[in-house]
Amino acid sequence: MRYDRILEELLNRDDFLVVGRSVVRTDALDKVLGRAKFTADYVPRDTAVVKVVRSPHPHALIEGINIEPALELPGVQTVLIAADVPGENQIGYALPDQPFLNDVKTRFVGDPVALVVAADKGSAVEGADAVRVKYSPLPSVLDTTDALRDGAPLVHEGGNVALTTKIRKGSIEEGFSEAEVVIEDLYDTPYQDHMYMEPEAAYAIPEGSGKVTVIGGMQSPFLVREKVAHILGWDLNQVRIIQALTGGAFGGKDDMGPLVCAKAALAAVKTGKPASLIFDREESVAYSNKRFPARIKYKSGADKEGRITAIDVDITLECGAFANRAPFWLWRQTAHAAGPYEVHNASVDGRAVYTNKVFGGSFRGFGDVALHFAAESQVDRLAGELGMDPVELRLRNILKPGSRTTCDQLLDHSVGIEECLTKVAEASRWSSQKRKRNGSRVTGFGVGCAYHGISTSRSTPDWSAASLILNQDGSMTYRTGICELGQGAPIGHAKIVAEIIGAPMESIRIEVPDTDSTPNAKPTHGSRGLMLGGTAAADAAIKLRERMVRVAADMLGCPEGEVDLRDGKASKKGEPGETIRFPELAEELYNRGVSPASYGFYASPKRYFDPETGLGVNYSVYTFAASVVEVEVDTETGVCEVVKVWPAMDVGKAIDPLVIEGQIHGAVSQGIGFTIMEHLKLKDGVVLTPGFKDYVVPSALDTPEYAPTIIVEEPYQHSAFGAKGVGEPAIISVVPAITNAIYDAVGVRLNMLPATAEMLHAAMRRGAR
Amino acid sequence: MRPLPGFNLHRPTSLGEALELMGALKSVKPIAGGTDLLPLMRDRAITVEDIVDIRGLHELKGITVEDGTLRIGALTTLTEVLESPLVAEKASVLREAVGHIGSVQTRNQGTLAGNICNASPAADSAPALMVIGAQARVSSARGVRRVPVEELFAGPKMNSLGKDELVTEILIPELPSGSGAAFEKLGRRRGITLAVVNAAAYLAMDGKKCVDARIALGAIAATPIRLPEVEAAYKGRELTPEAIEESSRACYSLVNPVDDVRASADYRREMACVLVKRAIVKAHARAGGGQ
Repeated sequence: MRYDRILEELLNRDDFLVVGRSVVRTDALDKVLGRAKFTADYVPRDTAVVKVVRSPHPHALIEGINIEPALELPGVQTVLIAADVPGENQIGYALPDQPFLNDVKTRFVGDPVALVVAADKGSAVEGADAVRVKYSPLPSVLDTTDALRDGAPLVHEGGNVALTTKIRKGSIEEGFSEAEVVIEDLYDTPYQDHMYMEPEAAYAIPEGSGKVTVIGGMQSPFLVREKVAHILGWDLNQVRIIQALTGGAFGGKDDMGPLVCAKAALAAVKTGKPASLIFDREESVAYSNKRFPARIKYKSGADKEGRITAIDVDITLECGAFANRAPFWLWRQTAHAAGPYEVHNASVDGRAVYTNKVFGGSFRGFGDVALHFAAESQVDRLAGELGMDPVELRLRNILKPGSRTTCDQLLDHSVGIEECLTKVAEASRWSSQKRKRNGSRVTGFGVGCAYHGISTSRSTPDWSAASLILNQDGSMTYRTGICELGQGAPIGHAKIVAEIIGAPMESIRIEVPDTDSTPNAKPTHGSRGLMLGGTAAADAAIKLRERMVRVAADMLGCPEGEVDLRDGKASKKGEPGETIRFPELAEELYNRGVSPASYGFYASPKRYFDPETGLGVNYSVYTFAASVVEVEVDTETGVCEVVKVWPAMDVGKAIDPLVIEGQIHGAVSQGIGFTIMEHLKLKDGVVLTPGFKDYVVPSALDTPEYAPTIIVEEPYQHSAFGAKGVGEPAIISVVPAITNAIYDAVGVRLNMLPATAEMLHAAMRRGAR
Repeated sequence: MRPLPGFNLHRPTSLGEALELMGALKSVKPIAGGTDLLPLMRDRAITVEDIVDIRGLHELKGITVEDGTLRIGALTTLTEVLESPLVAEKASVLREAVGHIGSVQTRNQGTLAGNICNASPAADSAPALMVIGAQARVSSARGVRRVPVEELFAGPKMNSLGKDELVTEILIPELPSGSGAAFEKLGRRRGITLAVVNAAAYLAMDGKKCVDARIALGAIAATPIRLPEVEAAYKGRELTPEAIEESSRACYSLVNPVDDVRASADYRREMACVLVKRAIVKAHARAGGGQ
């Protein structure tokens, strides 16, 4: 089925009912009025509180744990250590390198050693202080350079390199020999904290013997179920996971959901009573996963015409204490190394390196932010060396239908980056914009492009499921395992259902994901929530629609092809007079014994890759984005203000333009924070900035002016209405666009982010235009 | 973050009663807005057994002018200061500084007197109050005294008040015509942020000649500081752009800030010069300088 042609081929209509229109989200009012329920809202007063006892050392052997002093405190109910874990004491995501509770050694400041379960928060904190852990500190490695030295202390047995990646395509020797100019440099990108408004939270309720329910913030209820069952040593069907509305996630809760839910579940099962674990901000910033830092050595060359002839890229990813998602992250950086350009000669090497610091993990952009920061800085510099306009050089190399990616993947359709870049240059009047000085303030302009493979890579099976029930009163119940994190993907599913069934949006109730009843949609990550989950929704809706049309055709006495479903009514096309309202139609389905429920399932086209060369089909489709940014740099203080952003994105098909704009605006703020503001400072592995006071994120006052979003629609054949994911691609291009604009303004490049005022001030001191 | 520790809460309804409590209790702090006190208590940076809630002391509310002196009661919130036409008219530099304090929510809750008594070296209202010669009226059961605002600062988060004393109002003298003042702040974003450095300047002009100058800097030392050397250099001089540039550069060697997570000492020194220059230039223009 050509899912991008549902309108023409299945619905037989010329125009959309709700798809492509900006609608008010059905959950908006509850959220604005504070009625929406998040995890902590489910926790009754007097529920037991779980507190994690954490290592104060970056690297230490555990010689002994004495829990007795804690158990003697009146409010403390129990203290759990590794020996109390009934299942396997291991919760590593990609590699089995992350003990759930440590009893041998700890690998970062914050590594969990015990769980105190107490009657209230005060007792829990006192209990955690009272647990006596005897540590024998080990020498630690606090950066990747140290970690890679001969004889460096080992974070894990088997060496400090967790894994490596590579691509070999064409011949870089030949490529560089054709180059007129070659640029080589190092690009460093730092940790970034997600700073979601709602910190990590879980509430676990034991349900008799052999069952536990956990309500929590997360991005993948079925992954959480798997990890909780694994820790408890139980079967999957003994664990029920409910994803409460989640107050921001950005990837962070994909990793933290299982860690937090499993701790609450263990406490509840061990005590036989409900237990809650809610992180405070300090714990969240100091001990939860962060954007992986990366150091990218990037060499690229271009010929006289501005064609990029070769790239030689070397990526060192800092894992922190555990690999977590590093294999997928590093692979993504490796696979996207050239940026959205066709380059025939590429050599890419990557390594993920352990250090004794807080572990990295999922975060919007997933490696592509750091990679594009390097790649797009290089492209600008090649243009500069050649005396060519940076937009022009990009257009000479840009991916088009028929082009091949860094991994030699043929892109046969849905490649809209050329249009994004052309339109964004036009809208910003790129060719006539000039840097200008006003007192100490200098204005500059920069451009950035990006591409981002949607969903999971290489040969990982990728599928999604959803279910839809037509209730007796004509209302609909929609179930998806795709999570609402603020981004609105499930609302997008409902719009797809509404379009196909002709049901009013308000008649579709999206249920909270619950592993006891919701189909497994796989995770809400990789910008796959709408594309994969929404296509499963389309499959469910198409199946139910067929039955509704069949019954309606019989009731209306017309051929099935002439039945029109819209506004919650069935009618004969062109004869809107005689209608059957959905309550009546629903009742008829039930009376006739026609199933009113359907299960949708969708699998992505197969992908594959050659581990020797790194070549193959890595992602089923890519979303493309381009941004132009105007900055103003104060040359006396180094303060950089992002004044205006012109965003463009090829989204395949906009299911809801307003939601897309919301994603872009939010991502731009997050990108501004990453580029010029957010700075997680550590000393000896201790996070020194564990809160909003000193981990500074952009506020409303730092929000730039936005030009209208340019939405390019190059539909993807294998997703509902042709839609592609937008959440992650939205952050990538703005980061290099800002640094390129800073260069345009003041002639300095900060290859080490964040380009804070102080850093920029120092760089200008060293040599400004 | 730990839960707030327990304490005894006292709610006097008159100043006399409050001062009596402050004198009698051993480990005591007054609370008004609580925007600084409560986080300090939660972090165990302050431990107290008794809290005296002064919000019932209606006599400490409001902004008035008496014999030319602007009087701001200790319970006046930062929002009230920001929105007061009297403050805008008589002490616009204070209004400018208060607009930089915290967020709308903290300004609604926190008080001007609290911003001073908390004695943060980065308090945004401090440099502004210092350059316009503001004083605090301090009461205790022992009596009443007036203290220049800069003398209320004893060290980082330490004020010079006796345990039994309360600031009851902030007094701002009438500023002569031909004078002007300005406030400048550098934070790590455009709002809701602690100062990396802040500065205020006050100039009184007689034609082209500067007859009085006061300059204050915050977040640069253990307390907000005045810069008497620079002030002296301005007095009696014509303030040409070159003179301003030269004397503001002198700040570099006059201050001795620390490195912390917000900025390096060297950047703070550099920014002290920039902010002093900008504040002087603005104050000069407001004083009708060169006219």
